[in-house]
This record gives sequence, C-alpha cells and structure tokens, in this order.
Amino acid sequence: MPPTPTLRSLLARRRNATVEEVRETLHRFRSLVEQNDRVLELIADAGEKLGGEYVFDSKYLQDLAGALRDAAHSVVTTLNAISNDRYPELLDALAAIDESVKAALECRLAVPDSPYVLPLSEVGLPNLEAVGAKMARLGEVRSRLGCSVPEGFVVTTHACRDFLRSAGLLEAVEILGRRFAEGRDGLEVETARIHQGILEASIPRKLARAIRRAVARLVKPGEKDLLLAIRSSGVEEDGELSFAGQYESVLGVSVDDVCSAWQRVVASMYTPGVLDYLRQYHAPPGCGFMAVGVLRMVPVRASGVVYSLDPNAPENDVLVVSAALGLGKLVVEGGAPVDRLEISRDPGHEVVSRRLARKEHMFVAVPGRGAVVETVPESERLEPAVAPWELAELADTACRIEQYMKSAQDIEWAIDHAGRLYILQARPLRVTAPMKPPERNLSEVVGRYPVLMREKGEVACRGIGAGPVRIVADPEELPQRLAPGAVIVARAATPRLGGLLAGASAVITDLGNATGHFATVARELRVPTVVGAESATQTLVEGMEVTVDAEDNVVYGGRVEALLRYQLFERSSFADAAEFRILRRMLRRIAPLGLRDPTSPAFAANRCATYHDIIRFAHEKAIAELTEIGWVSTPSGVPWVRRLDLPIPLDLVLIDLGGGFRVEAGTTTVTVADLTSRPLLPVIEELTLGGAWETAPADMDLEGFMSSATRSMPLTGGLTGRPEQNLAIVSKEYLHLSLRLGYHFNIVDTHLGDTPADNYIYFRFVGGVTEITRRSRRAMLLKRILESHGFVAEGRGDLVVGRVKSLDADAMVHRLRMVGRLIGFTRQLDIHLRSDHLVDEYVARFLNGEAASPKV
Amino acid sequence: MKATRKKVLLLDDEPIVCERLKPALEKIGFYVESYTEGQKVVDRVMEETFDVLVTDLKMQKPDGLEVMDFVRQHAPATKVIIITGFATVDTAVETLKGGAVDFIAKPFKIRTLCDLIVKLTSSEPAAP
Repeated sequence: MPPTPTLRSLLARRRNATVEEVRETLHRFRSLVEQNDRVLELIADAGEKLGGEYVFDSKYLQDLAGALRDAAHSVVTTLNAISNDRYPELLDALAAIDESVKAALECRLAVPDSPYVLPLSEVGLPNLEAVGAKMARLGEVRSRLGCSVPEGFVVTTHACRDFLRSAGLLEAVEILGRRFAEGRDGLEVETARIHQGILEASIPRKLARAIRRAVARLVKPGEKDLLLAIRSSGVEEDGELSFAGQYESVLGVSVDDVCSAWQRVVASMYTPGVLDYLRQYHAPPGCGFMAVGVLRMVPVRASGVVYSLDPNAPENDVLVVSAALGLGKLVVEGGAPVDRLEISRDPGHEVVSRRLARKEHMFVAVPGRGAVVETVPESERLEPAVAPWELAELADTACRIEQYMKSAQDIEWAIDHAGRLYILQARPLRVTAPMKPPERNLSEVVGRYPVLMREKGEVACRGIGAGPVRIVADPEELPQRLAPGAVIVARAATPRLGGLLAGASAVITDLGNATGHFATVARELRVPTVVGAESATQTLVEGMEVTVDAEDNVVYGGRVEALLRYQLFERSSFADAAEFRILRRMLRRIAPLGLRDPTSPAFAANRCATYHDIIRFAHEKAIAELTEIGWVSTPSGVPWVRRLDLPIPLDLVLIDLGGGFRVEAGTTTVTVADLTSRPLLPVIEELTLGGAWETAPADMDLEGFMSSATRSMPLTGGLTGRPEQNLAIVSKEYLHLSLRLGYHFNIVDTHLGDTPADNYIYFRFVGGVTEITRRSRRAMLLKRILESHGFVAEGRGDLVVGRVKSLDADAMVHRLRMVGRLIGFTRQLDIHLRSDHLVDEYVARFLNGEAASPKV
Repeated sequence: MKATRKKVLLLDDEPIVCERLKPALEKIGFYVESYTEGQKVVDRVMEETFDVLVTDLKMQKPDGLEVMDFVRQHAPATKVIIITGFATVDTAVETLKGGAVDFIAKPFKIRTLCDLIVKLTSSEPAAP
C-alpha cells in the first residue's frame, strides 16, 4: 500500500513542479484521456449493438468485457500515478464492477442493492433484477402504455436475500445452486429442508417494518377488509420460460397476513417441481432469490386470459379470450368450463367465434378466507362474462402490449363492477404450433406498396412498425403523450423526444445519429427507429398510414401486413436472445452515469457503480491535479505551456497535450492566430468578439453587496479545491476550460473531431457574487439557454450542468460559439437579475444576439 | 415469370448468428439452410448445389477452413464468405488465398452481409 501523501508534499508539488515532473504528469494525463475516450467508445459501441443491426456472438461479449476492464484499470492506475495514490478506494470500486460484469457475462444473476420495497410506479424492465420479470413487465404496462393495473408494490430480491441470510439459509441456497448447475441428482431432500426453513424463519424486523409500511400506504382512508394478491416474480423467468404455475401466488390475503404469505411465495421457489421444470428447459439455476408483488385485489366482476395470437394456429390471425365470472382462478387452473372467444386481430376486432359456457360456480375473494367458490345465480349462468365493448377494449389493449413487447403475449386481465379493465400480468406467449415460414415471396408482396423513402439515414433500432404519421417539427412543442401506435416523424432526435417514444410504432428523425442518447432510449424501448433521414418531416404527411421497415431502411405507404406478420413470426425477437439479454445486463453495470455532480458529497470513489462512473470520477480528479500545479511559475522554455494574449482582461494559461497551438521560439505568449485546437477556437473567437465580454460596470445594490460581503468566499476552492488560475488544457480535438470569473466557476469540457459519436460538450457553472436567489436566477437562465440549444441541462441552486453529445463538427462549432458568447454574457449577470421576470428578458436578449447590457 | 430463389448455406457454431441471419436473408428472397456443425454442411453440399456458403472459421472439426476446402473441391460454383470474430490480416489473406470471395469480421451489420450476397448472386442464374 503506497504511503498517503502528506500535505507538505502536496504543497511542495503544487508550488515547485519541475519541468520533468510537469512533462511526466502531462504525459500521464494524455494517456488517461485516451483510455477515458476508449471506455466511452466501447460503451457507445456496445449500446449500438443492442439495436439489432449487428450480428455478434459470445466472443464479442467476452472481448468487450476484457477491453473495458483493461481501459478502466489503466485510467485508475494513471490517476493514482498522477495523484500520488490519492484514490486507493477507487481500486475497490473497480474490482466490484469487474466482478459484477463477469457475473453478467457468465449468466449469473446479480442481486442489486435496491430498497426492500419498491412501489409499482418505480418498477420497470430496467430494474428487472430487483423486481423480477413479472412485476417489471407489469410496471412497464402501467407506466409506458398507461394501462390500469392494480396498485401495489414489490418486495425485492434484495429483501429475499437478506431474509435468507438472517434465516441462516443463504449458504444452503448457494450450495443447492452449485449442485444443480453441476447436474447432480438427489437434491430433493435439500430443497425440502430449505423450503421448510423459509416457512419457519422469522422475518427480520427491518424488512417486516418495510412491508407493513408499504401495505399501510395501500389502505385507503376508512377502508376495511382490504384484500391483497401476493404474486411471485422470479428473475429467471425473463426469457422464453414462463414458469406458469411453478411458483405460488396467494390471493385474498388480508393486511395482517402479508408477511406470512410472502414467506409462502418465497418458499415456493424451493420445490422439487421447480427443479424438474428448470432441468426440463435446460435453464440455469437462477440467483436463488425471488421478488414478490403485493397488489390490491380488484373487486372483479369477470376475469380471464387473452392470448394475442392463437398459439395452436398462429396463421388464423385471431386473439383468443378465455373469460369467467369472478376471479380468474377457474381460467388459469381449469376445472370448469369458461367462455372462449376468438377475435380478429384487425382493428375493429370482430368476434370470429364464440363458445359460451354454462357458469355454475365462480371464485370470489373473501376476507379471512382467501379465494372461495360461490354458486352463480341461475339467471346469470348463460350470460357472457364479458360485454362486446369490453372485448373490443381487451383486444385493443392486448395488441398494444404485444406491439410494445415485440412478441405475442399471454395476458391475465380482470374487469371490475364499473367495467374498468385491469391488466394483472403480461408475459411472452409460448407458441406451440410450428412457425409458418415467411411468405415465400415477401419481397414481391412488399413491392406492391409505394416506397416513400429508401435508405435515408441510419437504423438506430431494428424492427418493423406501422401507424399514422405524427409530425413533430418543433421539439419545444411536444405534447405530454402521443396516441399509441403513431409513427413519430421528428426534425431532431432530442432527449425530450425520447420521453414520447413509449407506445410509438416507429420513429424517423431528420437529424441525429445511431449513437446518440435518443438512439439509446429507442433501443431500451425497442421502438423501430431510423435517425438522420434528412427530410422525413418534408416527405411524410401528418396522418398518412405508413410502414417503417427499420431492417432494410425503407418506408412504405400504407400498412404492409405481410411485413408486420413477418416480424411477429420471426422465431423469437432478437432482443430476447440470450446474447442480447447478457449484453443488456452487462451494459447496466457499465453504462449508466450516477456520478453527475462533482460538487456533491456523493461524487466519491466508493460511489462509483459503473465503468462510466469510474472514468468520470478519474477524469475530474485528474484535471483537479493538473490545475494544482503552479503553471504560472513554469519556465517559459517549456513549449507546451503558454499564456494566451487576449484583447479582453482574461488571464488564461494554455497547456498543450498535442496539436493545441503553435509556438514561436523565444515567446512566452501565444495569440488567437496561433491556436490550432478545434474546440478552443470557436469559444475564444466568440468570447473576444466586440460586446460579448460583458464590461458594463455592475451596478450592485446594497442587498447584493451585503450578501457578497458577508458570505464566506472560498467558494471555488471549497467546491473544487482549485486555485484561481484560469486554465485551458487543449489538444487538436480536446478542450478542458476551467474559468474562475469573479465569484463563479465555469468548466467546459469538450471533444470536437470528425466522428460525431466522439463529440460532446460538458458545461458546468456554479457560484456568483450575489445572494442565492439571484445566483439561482442566473442558473435558471443558463439552463434555459442551454436547453434551447439542444443541451440536456440540470440545475440545483446556483449549479447548472449541461451536456450535449454526438453532434457533427459543424453543429459542435455552432454550440461552442454559443458557449463562448454565454460565458461573456453571463459574467456579471446575477447582479442584474433582480426579479424572476428579468430572466425571460435576458434569455430573449441572448437568443436575439444582443449584449447583456445595452451599449452606452 | 417467377425467378427461382438463390440458395444460401449458413454455418456457425453459435446459434445466435444463424438465428439472426436466416430470417434476414429469407426476407429478401433467399432460400436459406443454417447449420451449427460443419459435417452437416459437408453432407448437404454433396446432395445439392448452393449459390453461397457463409461460414465461421473457429469451430469443432471440421472447422470453417476445412469446410471451405471441401466446398472448393466438390462444389466450385458455390461462393464462400468467411465471417469470424478472430479477424486478423493474416487470417483474411489466408482465407482469401484459400478461395473465399470475401471476409467479414464479427460483429458486422446484417445489411453488410445481405448486400454482399445480393451482389454476388445477382449476375448469375440460381443454382439448380
């Protein structure tokens, strides 16, 4: 373990950096930036692979994991070399991520560190490993498609693991998993012992409390006899395996019995039947921990199951509905005749065939007794369980869920006494009939439709979708929600548009590329997407029916049923293939950026949860190390450090990592004409333009002055540990600009090259001279201006962070010019922002190209 | 008049590769058979003539190179495309010398392979 550097050694280093030390540090910094870029490149690359455009195999996944690990380790090692081993704990964080990625690669399921209980409103496919597949899908159906589902919450896999640990069963579970994986027989005794142990153990107090509190939140004021359904939600059941009927679900549970019912459901994972099932399907043993849904029971009038396709005769193009009075137990478990209807999949959903059962019994939920059989009154026995209009809504909902999930669905539903439809469960349908091969001459059939666009732009997410065109010309005027099934045709692929993607049939944008944030969202939601199609908003007309083939990148006029059917009949959607599932899991441990705000206490080495976090942290800290070196006293004979000669009073030191500026012998400064750094030039040019550098004397009123006089000032130092030197670290295509102007601190970190995927701008602004209200107004203004230029901006108090990425070089130069102007414009602006309405005025001034103060 | 469909053989020991490529090629009008074992391809080539063989390199015996050699000898009209995750200049040169018409490194875009096969087969009548 290297010795922790003393304050003295750090100070000495800061003040008296020798030429050799500086050279060495810069060399290391450059290598850190290169490896940092390498990680980002690998992440972007891997994200693109999820779109379905590429063929990749398990070797790719292994190579990816290896390359990421190597690059991330190199970044961390270099940071510690630059900083005298200031961040040893970063190595621990890195090791944990390595292990977690390895687990994903080996199909081992991880248990995420989630809360014990998550409300259904926070549940979806991204947290599948915490909430299990069944609840994750129910969460998606609720939040993405707006379907009614019962209110409720999920007791997570994390809760299950902690329970098994406290029950002393964790080791037994792990041993069982290993033995199962080795293919050993005779595990029944062990399984039964765990099963019994789960039922007999007491639930840790903290967990019991979390469950009770969540249950209490479900009880409405004055409500008595609330009944709950406790449903298993295993993480293993995310692919082709349905686990139908293998795990227990308990219906009609009263509020006081939730904990014991939860135990029963968890115990149902350890039965000989489940082991046989897993063996039969050659499934991995799973993680051994189960998530469980706790849902309000809907007061049902009728319920049942709908298949979005007839699993025995998929070519018939019908939905199959089974319906019973009361609870769906009769339908799911069989045992009595139920209504069976076939409904056309075509819009309008005509009933194709109907077979009504004589309904003598039904299940109802009774407080204290669970699901109980009741006799159906004689007069109602021959009535259909579901009314025609309810059938149409059911069919329509099933088709929408199928379209969203991209595979045929097996859906449990219920209708309450008011006729409201609830979705209780949606899972992939196992189609048993042999799949019909694609139509022999699909290309001939397709040839009969008019081609509206061909090979314009690039495919960001593969797939086929059809629907009416909905043109979104101005991203600022987006509606909150679009009618489901629309084909969105938009000018720009903005992150805001990403929020509307759920439920869209397909998306085409004029601008954008396949590695942008928007494309990532499209792939996460599996919406067929073409980006950068240049003139789609001109070519396509609002309301016209089109079919987007985001495989061959063709847009047809009309609804090409043959193509839509082809998509549905494809043996399994690629996104469900094992390699894709593994890549998705790996990416969850690699790509999300949790460490966003360097001024927050959470911006710490031990909070790094992904490789992205690691490099973000290391990059930030490496730059902090660089700015601590006493550059001003660096000998002028060093060719890579120069002061920039500017026509405005800005003292700026440049550090060249390569190709950033030209140096003439014998000089100590460089001029704007010497700059060769592509991202620095537009910023500086704009900043030094007449009028951009706000010079009007700031007329500070007493209130503002007192605030600044009494507020403690070590603002920038306190936040970042950086001295006052303005610094630009540059290379041909890179710029890191740290500016301390008055009392605020501004960072611009950017890459500008010819590959749009590598380009980004990171803009951070914090501080100011006035009281927090005015500083916050300036932050608000910055946020709005950044957003109007396509940045994703976040603000908190006087801090603003804006990001934009994957733009082409021209668009980057345009934004960097704006950034240059913005730095000058906002320099003293907080002093002027005496009221909220002035924010609008100054935003308008900036956007109109005016100076902050009228010229005198 | 309906054109006879061109015939493509796929060989890769990783099922995902065949599962992705087969429907994509069928969609644009090819007849496709896919296999995960080299021996099956060797058997099929003796029974029927195919226009194109797409094969991985590293596999259990017979591996991609051996299958290619066999096809070059017994079905010289069949064009061979190599797809591999172990792409180096040396392997590319070696396989092209061995008679492959093209060499594609994995991961690759489905479109790239489809376009290539369309190009290779467009000028000639389908194999009998």
